[in-house]
Amino acid sequence: MTTLDVVFVLLGVVAVGAAVLVVTTRQLVHAALWLVVSFGALAGGYLMLTAEFVAWVQVLIYVGAVVVLLLFGIMLTRAPIGRSADLDSGNRWAALAVALATAGVLVTVLVRGFRTAYAPLDVAGQGAAKPLGESVFRIWVLPFEVLSVLLLAALVGAIVLSRREI
Amino acid sequence: MKCTTEGIAGFGCDPWWLIGGKALVIFVFLVLTVLLSMWVERRVIGRMQLRIGPNRCGPFGLLQGLADGVKLALKEDIVPAGVDKVVFWLAPVVSAVPAFISFIIIPFGPTVSIFGHQTQLQGTDLPVAVLLVLAMSSMGIYGIVLAGWSSMSPYSLLGGLRSSAQMISYEIAMSLSFVAVFMFAGSMSTSQIVAGQQHIWYGVLLLPSFLIYIITMMGESNRIPFDLPEGEGELVGGFHTEYSSLKFAMFFLAEYINLATLSALATTLFLGGWHAPPPITTIWAGANSGWWPVLWFLIKIWAFIFFFIWLRGSLPRVRYDQLMKLGWKVLMPISLGWILLVATIRTASREGLNQTQLLIYGGITIAVVLVGSFAWDLVATSGRQVDPYAEPERATAAEPAQGGFPVPPLDLPHYHGVLPETAARKEVSSGTH
Amino acid sequence: MTGSAVLNTVAIGDIQAPHLEYGQLGPMLLVFGVAVLGVLVEALVGRGWRQFIQVPLTFAGLAGAFVWILVLGVKDKPLHVAAEGAVGVDAPTLFLQGTILVLALVSLLLIADRQNGAFTPQASALPGSDAEREGIASGTVQSELYPLMLFAVGGMMLFTAANDLLTMFVALEVMSLPLYIMCGLARRRRLLSQEAAVKYFLLGAFSSAFFLYGTALLYGYAGSVRLSDIATATGNNAGSEPLLLAGIALLSVGLLFKLGAVPFQAWKPDVYQGAPTPVTALMASCTLVAAVGATLRVFYVALENMSWDWRPMMWGVAILTMLVGAIIAITQTDLKRMLAYSSIAHAGFLLTGVIATSQAGLSGTLFYLAAYGFTTIGAFAVITMVRDAGGEAGHLSRWAGLGKRSPVVAGVFAFFLLAFAGIPLTSGFTGKFAVFKAAIDGGATPLVVVGVISSAIAAFFYLRVIVVMFFSEPAADGPAVVTTIPTAAAVALGATVTVVLGVLPQPMLDVAGQAASHLFVR
Repeated sequence: MTTLDVVFVLLGVVAVGAAVLVVTTRQLVHAALWLVVSFGALAGGYLMLTAEFVAWVQVLIYVGAVVVLLLFGIMLTRAPIGRSADLDSGNRWAALAVALATAGVLVTVLVRGFRTAYAPLDVAGQGAAKPLGESVFRIWVLPFEVLSVLLLAALVGAIVLSRREI
Repeated sequence: MKCTTEGIAGFGCDPWWLIGGKALVIFVFLVLTVLLSMWVERRVIGRMQLRIGPNRCGPFGLLQGLADGVKLALKEDIVPAGVDKVVFWLAPVVSAVPAFISFIIIPFGPTVSIFGHQTQLQGTDLPVAVLLVLAMSSMGIYGIVLAGWSSMSPYSLLGGLRSSAQMISYEIAMSLSFVAVFMFAGSMSTSQIVAGQQHIWYGVLLLPSFLIYIITMMGESNRIPFDLPEGEGELVGGFHTEYSSLKFAMFFLAEYINLATLSALATTLFLGGWHAPPPITTIWAGANSGWWPVLWFLIKIWAFIFFFIWLRGSLPRVRYDQLMKLGWKVLMPISLGWILLVATIRTASREGLNQTQLLIYGGITIAVVLVGSFAWDLVATSGRQVDPYAEPERATAAEPAQGGFPVPPLDLPHYHGVLPETAARKEVSSGTH
Repeated sequence: MTGSAVLNTVAIGDIQAPHLEYGQLGPMLLVFGVAVLGVLVEALVGRGWRQFIQVPLTFAGLAGAFVWILVLGVKDKPLHVAAEGAVGVDAPTLFLQGTILVLALVSLLLIADRQNGAFTPQASALPGSDAEREGIASGTVQSELYPLMLFAVGGMMLFTAANDLLTMFVALEVMSLPLYIMCGLARRRRLLSQEAAVKYFLLGAFSSAFFLYGTALLYGYAGSVRLSDIATATGNNAGSEPLLLAGIALLSVGLLFKLGAVPFQAWKPDVYQGAPTPVTALMASCTLVAAVGATLRVFYVALENMSWDWRPMMWGVAILTMLVGAIIAITQTDLKRMLAYSSIAHAGFLLTGVIATSQAGLSGTLFYLAAYGFTTIGAFAVITMVRDAGGEAGHLSRWAGLGKRSPVVAGVFAFFLLAFAGIPLTSGFTGKFAVFKAAIDGGATPLVVVGVISSAIAAFFYLRVIVVMFFSEPAADGPAVVTTIPTAAAVALGATVTVVLGVLPQPMLDVAGQAASHLFVR
C-alpha cells in the first residue's frame, strides 16, 4: 500500500462517514454541512485519481452552488439552531435495514466486478479539460445539447409553478 | 514522472524545502499585503476626502494596520447566547482559509534559479488552475452564509443570505468572462495563460471580457459600490454583526486577501501577468527574465488595489435589486453574446474567411441588433411608465411599528424556528450591546 | 504580432467537429426547435395573444415532424445510427416516433380546447386564494403548457430512438420533467393535482436514479454504454457476471417504472387521477409508447444474448402486471383511476410482446401501441365531456343512466371500453391477438393463458361501467355532456381508428410488420 492508497481510503471513509452523519444528525443545517464534507471528500477522491477537472468542477458545482442553494432553501423557510424533534421518523429501523441491504448488494457487486480492474493514472494530461471536452463535444454532443433543452424546460417549469404575473 | 523545468509538469518536482519555502513566502506576502493595503486604503481615502488619514503609528502611520490587528486580537471575544457555537466558530475559518489557498496558483514570475534549483515563481499550477480559484471563492461563500445563520440575529441572517446570493450571481458572470481567455490561451493553467500573453495582453484583445471581470470582481469582493451585505443603514454590519475580536479579524483578513487575489487574477488573466508593460520591453530586452518580472507583477497588483480604493472613494452604493438586475440581466447576457462572437470570429478566421469582411458584417449585425433592441425598448416602455420607486400597496397593519421604517423584529421566530422565550435573550435588550 | 495574427494562432489542439445527420435527426430537432420558439413567444408576446399563436405553432411543429418522418420512412430504407452513434434511425423507431406524434396531435386537440377549461389559469396561485379567483376571472390560460408539451414529446421521440444508455437517460429526463409540471396544472381539485405532480416527481426521480445506477454498472461490465457494445460484450462473456445482472435489474426498474408495470405501478392511479385529463390522455398514450419503445430497444438490442437471464424476471413482472392491474381495477369507483389500472394491465399485455423477442413480437407490440393509444385518448376525451358543477364527473355513480341521456357519448365510451377488453371487431382484439400469437410462437403459452384470464377479469369491470351507464336510472342532478368541437374531434378520431383497426387491420399490420422486418439497428 502506498501513501496514495492510504489517502484514498481515508477520503472514502470521510465521504461515507459524513454521508452517514447527514442522515443521522438531528440538526437540519448540520446535515447540509456534512453533505458538504461528503462532497468535498468525493472531490478529493477524484483528485487522487488524477481527474482534476472533474474534481474542481465537483467542488465548484456541488459544494459551491448546489449545497449553498440547499442552505438557502432551508434558511429562507426554517432553519432552527439546535436539534429538531421532527427530523426523525418511526421508520428508521426499516430504513436502516433497506439501506444496509442495498449497500450490501451494491458493494458486493462492485467489489466482485471491479476487483481486478485497474486504470493507469500516470497518463499526462488525462485529467485536464481537453479529453473531457473532446468526448462531450464529439461523441456525446447530442445528449449534451438535449440536456440544455432539459434545463430550459426546467426553467420554464419553475417559472410556471412559482411566478405570478407572467 | 519526468521532471522538467518547463510547463505544468515542472511543478511537483521541486525539493521539499522549496515547496515549503514558496508556501511560506506566499503566506507572508499575503499577510503583508493585507496590512499594507489597509493602511493604503485609509490614507488614500483620507486624501480623497481632503483629510490626512492615519499618520500616528510609525513613519507615515505605516504601522497602523499592525496596531489595529493587535487591538482586534486583544478585544473580548463575545459569543452571543443561543448561537450554534461550532458553526459560529467555523464560519470565519471557512471564510479565511480558501482565500489563502487561491493565491497558490498565481504566477509571480518566470523560471528563476533559487540556490541552484531552476523553478518557476509560482506556488503550483494545475491544468485547471483557474477553476481552483473559482472553487475556492465559492467555498468562501460558506463562511458568510454560516456566519449569518449561526449568529442568531435576523440582521446577520439577512446579510448572509444577501451576500451569498450576490456572490453566487456574480460568480457566474465572472466565470463567463474567463471563457474567452481560455479560448485564446487554450488552457486553464495560469502559467500558460501568462505565457499566451507574451505579445498582446488579453485585457486589450478581449476588452469586453476584461470590463465584465472588473465589474464582477467588485461584486465578488463585497466592496463598494456593491457592499450591500453590510449596508449599515439597513443591516447593521451584515453577516458579521455579532462577531468580535479574532473571529472578526478573520473576516477582515479574508476580505482583504480576496481583494489581493482578485487583483492578482486580473493581472494574470488580462494584464499579461508578470510580463513587463509594452514600452519597457521594446527598449530593454531583459525586462522579462530573472527577478524583474516580480516587480512588474507587484506594480500591476497595486495598481488594481488602488483602483479598488479609488472606486470606494468615489462611488455610492447601489440598490440591491439594481445589483441583481445588473448581474443577471446585463452582465450575463453580454458575456454570453461576447463569447459567441469571439468563438464565431475565431472559427471563421481558422476556416480562412476574409477577416475584414467578417468584422464589417459582424459589426453591422451587432449594430442592427443593438439599435433594434433599443428601439424595441423605447416602443415597449413608452406606453406604460412604471415608477420603480412606487411603494407597493401593503396592508398597514403588517407594518412594524418601529418608526415607520421596515426593520425586522429581532426575535422573529420565523428566522430560526425558535420561539422568543426559548431563545436565551433575557438579559440583553435589543440593540444595546 | 498584430491583432489579426493573434486571432489566427491556434492554441487549441484541434477537436474534430462532430458529424450530425441533420436530415435524419430532423423530426426531433424540429419539435425541440418549435418548443424553443414557443418559449420565445411566451417571453415576447402579450398575454392575450399567446394562446392564439401557441396552438397553431405547436400543431404545425408536431405535424411537420410527422410529415418529415413519413418522408424518412418512405424515401430511404432507414437503418442507420446517427449523431455519432447516439441515436438509431430505423424503421421501428420511425414507426414509434410517428405514433407518438400522431397521438400527441390528438392530445393537443384536448389540451387546446379552451371551453373545456382543464387547466389552471395560474399555477402559482394557492388553491382557494384570492389570486386564484382573480386568475379565473381574468380568463387567461397558462400557455407555457404548449412548449412544455413539445419538450415532453421531443423527449419521448428521443427516448425511443436512443442508441446508448446515456442518451436514453437524458431523453427520459427531458420527457418526464415537463410531464411532472403539467400534472400539477389542473384547474379543479388543485390539491389533488399538486399531490399527483409531487408524487410523480419524487417517484420518477427515484426511478431515474435506478436507471442511472444500472447504466453505470452496465458500463462497468461492457466498458461502453452503447447498446450494441453491450450486446457484443454479453456475446463474448467479456466482463464480470454480477455487474451485468445487477445492471440489467436496476435498468429494468427504471424502464418498468415508466411503463407502470407491477411492482412499480403505485404512481399511476394517483397521477392519472390528479393530472388534468388532457395531460392524462397524453401520458396514457404517448408516454406509454415511448416507454415501451425504449424497453423494446434495450431488450431487443443490448440484452438480446441475455434473454435466458432476464426472461424469468420479465415473465413474473408481466404476469403480476396483468393480474394486479385487472383485479384492482374492479374495486375502483373513480373512472380515471379505473382507466389507470386498466392501463397497468395493458402494460402487462405489451410486456408479453417484449418477452417474445421476435420479429412478430415487435410488430405485434407496435400495432398494439398504435391501437391502444388511440382508444385510450378517446376514452379520456369522453371523460372530459361528462361534467357537472365541480368539473368532470369522475365518480362512477355519477355516470348512472348516461346512456339514456346522451346515448351517443355513452355508446362511444362503451365501445372504447369494449376495445380495452379486447372484444372482436375492435382494435383491442387485433392488437391482443397479434401480441399473444407472437408470445405463443416464442414459447410463452402460460403467459398468454394468464393474459387471457386477466382480459376476462378486466372485461368484468368494463362491462360494469357499461351496465351502470345503460341499465340504471339517471339521477335528477346528473352530469351534463358538454360537447366542444376539438374534443368531439378527438373522440371521433379515436373511435374511427378503433373501428378501422378492428375491422380492417391488415394495412396497419402490414406497416407494423414492415417496420419490424429488420428489427432495430445496432
